Amino acid sequence: MTTAILSGLFVGILFGFALQRGRFCMNSAIRDSILLQDFVLLKAVGAAVLVQMLGFALMSLLGWIKISPTPLFWGANLVGSFIFGIGMVLAGGCASGVTYRVGEGMTSALSALIGLTISATLTAMGFLAPIKDVLQKSTKIMVGEANPTLANILGLPYAVVAITIAVILGGVWIFMAMKNKDDSEKKSNLPLSTKIFKKGWGWLATGVVIGLIGMLAFVTSTWAGRSYPLAITSGWVTIAKMILPNVEAKMGWDAYLVIGIIVGAFLAAIIAGEFKIRWPGWGLLVQTFVGGLLMGFGAVTSGGCNVTHILSGLPQLGIGSLLATISIVLGAWVTAYFIFVRRNA
Amino acid sequence: MSEIIKPTKTLDVCGKICPYPDMDTMTTLKKMKKGEVLEVLLDYPLSVERIPRNLKKQGHKLISVEQISGPNHRMLIEAFGLK
Repeated sequence: MTTAILSGLFVGILFGFALQRGRFCMNSAIRDSILLQDFVLLKAVGAAVLVQMLGFALMSLLGWIKISPTPLFWGANLVGSFIFGIGMVLAGGCASGVTYRVGEGMTSALSALIGLTISATLTAMGFLAPIKDVLQKSTKIMVGEANPTLANILGLPYAVVAITIAVILGGVWIFMAMKNKDDSEKKSNLPLSTKIFKKGWGWLATGVVIGLIGMLAFVTSTWAGRSYPLAITSGWVTIAKMILPNVEAKMGWDAYLVIGIIVGAFLAAIIAGEFKIRWPGWGLLVQTFVGGLLMGFGAVTSGGCNVTHILSGLPQLGIGSLLATISIVLGAWVTAYFIFVRRNA
Repeated sequence: MSEIIKPTKTLDVCGKICPYPDMDTMTTLKKMKKGEVLEVLLDYPLSVERIPRNLKKQGHKLISVEQISGPNHRMLIEAFGLK
């Protein structure tokens, strides 16, 4: 139990710190690619996924972790994650984004987070649960006793496939980057402490650091008996259950993680002088709350939010996470198109 | 260069969430004439970094980014004049 408290909180604080410094938000990453043709954060996400793919493969070979891919229930993955994608654009942040921005003092993020927690809990155990159950049970596919991954549907060991994919994708990426040199980041002569604590991090540093934190998360949560890397929604559902009367619940690694994220982001924001209680106006507050509601339902239906599926699921090669990722991206793009691109056309 | 630049228009996006600071800035700039200066007041760290790197694509020119206090920034942008 102490392991869960300490390691969950510790990893959460590191994660929150890195999220705030790197402005790492998958909603921005996905949405900006279509809205602003800005790919900086998307590159950070890509780097984090590749680092973890390589890292998880090595750690599984060493026996430190056991790969635990998300289940494949294609109907629930497609529908849930599409709704999640819509929700995150309305909420102005993904599950990890709204969590860390609470630590920056953003009231809009807090309202999104409350919406997410309410509907996630209602979908996990409340009146929305039957919808999720039907979608999940009717479309569940397994490979033998295991959840399908790119490795086990080919009949190959996980580590082999993961290392191959990571090396090929990483190699192609580095090759492309060498060809288009303008990709490189500006060099600056600021002292290291200023770069870490005062300035926003570059995408590569952000991606690699978050990838390493994901690896640390997998190992420490395995010690705590959980065996999954970073995740957000499940932690908030646990906290909601703790608050609710007559519901049995126990704080676990993931619940300490989300609390840690807020603490870490708060510390990072304070040190950088970026903490401020921000008021977006009632209209946006309602919009982010509704966005949060959609995200909570979508995440629990699909078996996870953007962190579970993209950040932690893709490196484990889960087919369910792959479907969910595609669906989150499509949901976000469609919504961004309708509310931002068309409005401004 | 050293003369005080007087903004033609001021846009206050403090408290706004992602991506409104960026979108509002871009749409306002779109409607401005060439050479007019937009002053943007913002407090969203991501946008303080993201707006400058996306201005160029539209041809707008960043004149200055000034930190007022903490996360509060003041940005001056010269419109390219898309209209």
